[in-house]
Amino acid sequence: MMQKKICMLGGFAVGKTSLVRRFVSNVFSDHYRTTIGVTVEKKSVKVDDRDVTLVLWDLYGEDEFQRVRDSYLRGSAGYILVMDGTRKATLDTAIALQQTAAKAVGAVPFVSIINKADVRSEWEIDEGVIEQLREGGWTVLFGSAKLGQGVEELFVKLATQIVQTSPIPSDSL
Amino acid sequence: MHTDPHGPSRDSRSSERRTSVDEDWTKLRTLLLSPEQTQLDEIRERLDNRAVQPREISRVLPEAFAMRGETDQSLSNVLTPYVEHGFGAAVRKSPRAIVDAIAPIMGPAIRQAIVRALQSMTQSFNHSLDDSLSIRGLRWRLEAWRTGRSFAEVVLLHTLRYRVEQVFLIHRETGLLLHHVAAEGAVVQDQQILSGMLTAIQSYVQDSFGASPDQTLDHFQVGEWTVWIEQGSHAYLAGVVRGTPPETLREDFQAALDDIHVQQADALTQFDGNAAPFKTTQTYLESCLHAHYESPPRPSALKLWILGGVGILLLLWWGAMAYQIHARWSNLLAELGAEPGIVVTMAKSTWRGYHLEGLRDPLAKDPSAMVIEAGLEPSSVKAVWSPYYSLDPQFVETRAHSILHSPKTVKLAVEGDTLVATGAASIEWARETRRLATLVPGISLYRDEGLVTTSISDLLERVNRTVVRFRSGSSIVEPSERAALGAVSVALRELDQAVSQSGQRVRLEILGSADETGPATLNIQLSKERAEAVRSALGGKELGGATTVITDILGPLKPLGSQGESGERIVILRATLTAASRGNETTPP
Repeated sequence: MMQKKICMLGGFAVGKTSLVRRFVSNVFSDHYRTTIGVTVEKKSVKVDDRDVTLVLWDLYGEDEFQRVRDSYLRGSAGYILVMDGTRKATLDTAIALQQTAAKAVGAVPFVSIINKADVRSEWEIDEGVIEQLREGGWTVLFGSAKLGQGVEELFVKLATQIVQTSPIPSDSL
Repeated sequence: MHTDPHGPSRDSRSSERRTSVDEDWTKLRTLLLSPEQTQLDEIRERLDNRAVQPREISRVLPEAFAMRGETDQSLSNVLTPYVEHGFGAAVRKSPRAIVDAIAPIMGPAIRQAIVRALQSMTQSFNHSLDDSLSIRGLRWRLEAWRTGRSFAEVVLLHTLRYRVEQVFLIHRETGLLLHHVAAEGAVVQDQQILSGMLTAIQSYVQDSFGASPDQTLDHFQVGEWTVWIEQGSHAYLAGVVRGTPPETLREDFQAALDDIHVQQADALTQFDGNAAPFKTTQTYLESCLHAHYESPPRPSALKLWILGGVGILLLLWWGAMAYQIHARWSNLLAELGAEPGIVVTMAKSTWRGYHLEGLRDPLAKDPSAMVIEAGLEPSSVKAVWSPYYSLDPQFVETRAHSILHSPKTVKLAVEGDTLVATGAASIEWARETRRLATLVPGISLYRDEGLVTTSISDLLERVNRTVVRFRSGSSIVEPSERAALGAVSVALRELDQAVSQSGQRVRLEILGSADETGPATLNIQLSKERAEAVRSALGGKELGGATTVITDILGPLKPLGSQGESGERIVILRATLTAASRGNETTPP
């Protein structure tokens, strides 16, 4: 069984937990996120017909009061940046977090997702900005925590990228 | 090329020409090949002189080391003795520098080791103190002596109860689970998530307290569970322990972790999320799944001996008590058998108590009192006694006294079936007794030839005849008079006895008198004193239950017949009979 540590990053209340909650194994209460700043969850995906277990470290939202702890990022094979389409400030936070993460764990694969695709009309983040991000090498997906859209794709995409950078040995099944 | 077709005469010429050509060739060659020649010379020089040039080696040394290191271990093997030698020399030459260099690393490690050793020692010491004086402690001392272990170790082995329920091997940097083992029956949650959380908690604690990287979370406790964390360079062990583990368990954890680091050195450094190679750590992790249960308390040999001893003592005590009680019972039966007026017809002893049946004369001794005297619990003896008349002479005599109301002056004796009366009694009593005696159970005959009979009237007459004389002015009974009063006293007692049998009473008046000399008041006083003196000479109130004594003075100048008359220095007695209940007076005959 191949395992990969993944960090879920994003601004305050962008819907990180809501996005993944219905798709992950969770045994710890959300209480831990607010006390120690992280809760660990698990998501299994298939890449090239092989199971990869993503151990998700759902970090407490970055805001002016609480910074993401570098020690939580250590050892991550990849990370997910979550933004809220209706709040442009979350994009800036995501960019800052990407820089923090790159500094802490190096150039590991990452995927970003803009939440609240179900209320696209209310978005503050426009297509132009998204295009700029893509040109900057970002993978930008759209998702909806409310409808449960885009999550499976999010994890599969990230897992695929991770596996491509470090192939799974055949004896790991 | 150098062949000469001409003869020897032309040798000198041709030789000159040849020399000039060689020189030309040499010049041409020098002109054309000078640079190459220099290089060739250098190469030849190098080939000829193969001494190593340090500058050249310095250019390639790092790469050479790296390349050789990748292929095999030879370089390490070759260098090891030199490095060791060099290090030794360096330590000898400048130890201070070495100390400064390793102090930051060694300090915390040494401190941690000392703290653990102290904890372990304190734990052992406390247990030793607790257990050294008990019976259990003595038993463990014996075990320590027998097995060659230290006492503290034996104490720990016996008292601690713990169980390592789960052991996690976790990659330190990523927090990913490398391997996990659990004891049978342990509750196991998602190990991968738990590994992540354990790592997160450690990071949180470390960050929160600003601890240095070597200061890590050592353990934490939740209820009866303790999570022990043992750090290695690439991975750490987390043991979930239920109960109170001994500090020595840490040594096992550390040993297992060290072994894993040695065995899996490459896999750990190159870990990329693939936990498959760590399946081989199963045995190491399983070696950490210690469980120690305090053995159920077995009664010690000493305890058994004591219990057995107490049991035997109880048995002996019970036996002694049973024997004693049985002996008392036997004694009681013997005493009852010997007791007149009691006949035991049935005596039974059961586990609930004793049962007696028999005959008992109402005059016989109370059997209940005999039971108490024998030392038996009265409630344990159930007795049924049927009444009967015993013909034992003692009872026949007592019964004869009781039925015949014999006066105290009469002595009754039973001889066979004959009742013999002796002593003195009134004639009335003697007559009545002759009629009733044979009605007493056990009496067929009655004899009273030894009985002196007097009638009540005789006695009354004897009393009423009495005159006690006094000296002038004296109330002291003279010795001559006192002797006469003795006989009167006996008569009065007989009278009392006789009268009491007929249901009557005696009224005895003691009347004092004085002569006419002197003042009348003094004489009255003297008369009273004389009556009292006689009363006291007669024995006062002890004349008998049926006699009422009254003292008074005689009336003035009253003729008294044979007793004289008033106006003399005398005391006279006047006894009369009265009916006991009605108080009617009967005149003396």
